[in-house]
Amino acid sequence: MTSPASSSEVKYLIESSEGNTFDVSGAALRQSNTFNAMFLNIGADGPIPFTDYNEATLKKVFEYCEHSVNEENYSGPKHQDDLSKWDLNFFNEMDQKMFIDVINASNFLDIERLTSYCCERIARMLRGKNTQEMIKVITLPTAEELEAKQKVEEKKAAAAKKVAEKAAETAEKTETLEELPVQQLVQTTRNKLTRKYLSFSNE
Amino acid sequence: MSSPFPLLRLPRLVLFDVFKSLSIGEKIKLSLCSKKIFTQINSARLYSQTVIVDLDCLSHKISVHFENDKETFDIFSYLDTWKGHNLNTQQFSITCCTVAVTSIQKGIQIFWKNRQEGFLSVIQHLSQMFQCKISTSFNCHFSDLLQPTISKLFDLQLEFKILCICLDGSKDEDLFNQISGNLKLVEYLSISSSFNTGFEPVFTSWPQKIIITSSAWFTLEYLLACTSTTITLGWAHLGNKDLDEILKNWKAGEFPNLERLKIQSRNITSFGATILGMNLRELVGKVIQTDDGSKKATIKLDFDTIEMSVTSF
Repeated sequence: MTSPASSSEVKYLIESSEGNTFDVSGAALRQSNTFNAMFLNIGADGPIPFTDYNEATLKKVFEYCEHSVNEENYSGPKHQDDLSKWDLNFFNEMDQKMFIDVINASNFLDIERLTSYCCERIARMLRGKNTQEMIKVITLPTAEELEAKQKVEEKKAAAAKKVAEKAAETAEKTETLEELPVQQLVQTTRNKLTRKYLSFSNE
Repeated sequence: MSSPFPLLRLPRLVLFDVFKSLSIGEKIKLSLCSKKIFTQINSARLYSQTVIVDLDCLSHKISVHFENDKETFDIFSYLDTWKGHNLNTQQFSITCCTVAVTSIQKGIQIFWKNRQEGFLSVIQHLSQMFQCKISTSFNCHFSDLLQPTISKLFDLQLEFKILCICLDGSKDEDLFNQISGNLKLVEYLSISSSFNTGFEPVFTSWPQKIIITSSAWFTLEYLLACTSTTITLGWAHLGNKDLDEILKNWKAGEFPNLERLKIQSRNITSFGATILGMNLRELVGKVIQTDDGSKKATIKLDFDTIEMSVTSF
């Protein structure tokens, strides 16, 4: 599905790690800064590959985005007590694995509101506790687990590169139609993303 | 989500956002959970808001708070005699020492084998986390912890928000001599001293602001050399002639940083020598200018205290 993407009616196809595809509205997708940087102005030729995340996770993330389409513009983190009933249900429905997957996907897609609420929810687990109680709440990883985390982040950086390449490829196709401005946009986007994900993997 | 949460498996930017949303006390308590968490908190560089660490050497208390927030988290350092332990006491690691820690309301108590080393370890732990500024009060003067602590903190090049020192004996003089070259690390230096100690401090650097409560020893020569922005002198011995010299120098472009000068002295009188060709009564309320016209200053008098406030054009 291709779109010049300014109308909320436009649907985009998202591809998950299983190779499955599903529709997401342009309005929902625009809450992702990653998407905005890569595809908003140039459109996508075929499904957008967010193949580092499974279908259930992506659907959960975009369920949140679809719900918050009509909310006021995001203006910084909210306290957990300010969350709506819908928001609370949304978080309470998730088990821990899904919650972590959603955080990772939201972080990659750079959806500020969702990431911020997830952070607030984690912070709430630690609030009002002493050190001993905090230790009970969190799992302290072993060296092997930390190494595995590093590998995952490297893998994500590679996935981000792949997505950026896809964006660049799309831009090359549109080059003949819109020539220089789009080409410059893609190059800038590619540079930005490369810097961003290199900084992730270097951290 | 009842099973333990794998906090350190979160993406780094998410983890840093979680740290940012915690209070100072929560960050400190979390930092004691493990070295890895402490390292991650340090990596987050939580420096956007200035954190002040108030040292109360006498009570062995360290209070931590944001610069514009008086709500503090208190850390008490006690000698480990086991008497202070209770059912809540747990062992944690701080700067390579395993110590007993007890949670109290709005703070923690830490039990050290060596209280002085413990006190310093806490400050170092906090400075790594927050890149904080240190403040001391005059009651620290009565504690043996003051001199070694301040000396070490200057060695570590930590910044001071407020540093209070008393010049009351040889130990104090040794401390002053150790730090006098690094006073640029101090925002506000407050000096208290006994009369006639015979000690003549040598300033090889100056703090941003200085207040000397008994400043009889602070002569015109000291004042002419001072580069601080705010200078407050109590019980000074400076007289009309000195003030005349100070103002002439200021008009000529000396004291380039000066914003406020306040001198309490019974030797500045209406019956003494003229100041800038005026007697004191004529000078009060006057607005004077530097010769190049770049700054003006208002002179105020309150009983035996004369104050000069500078504004730049």
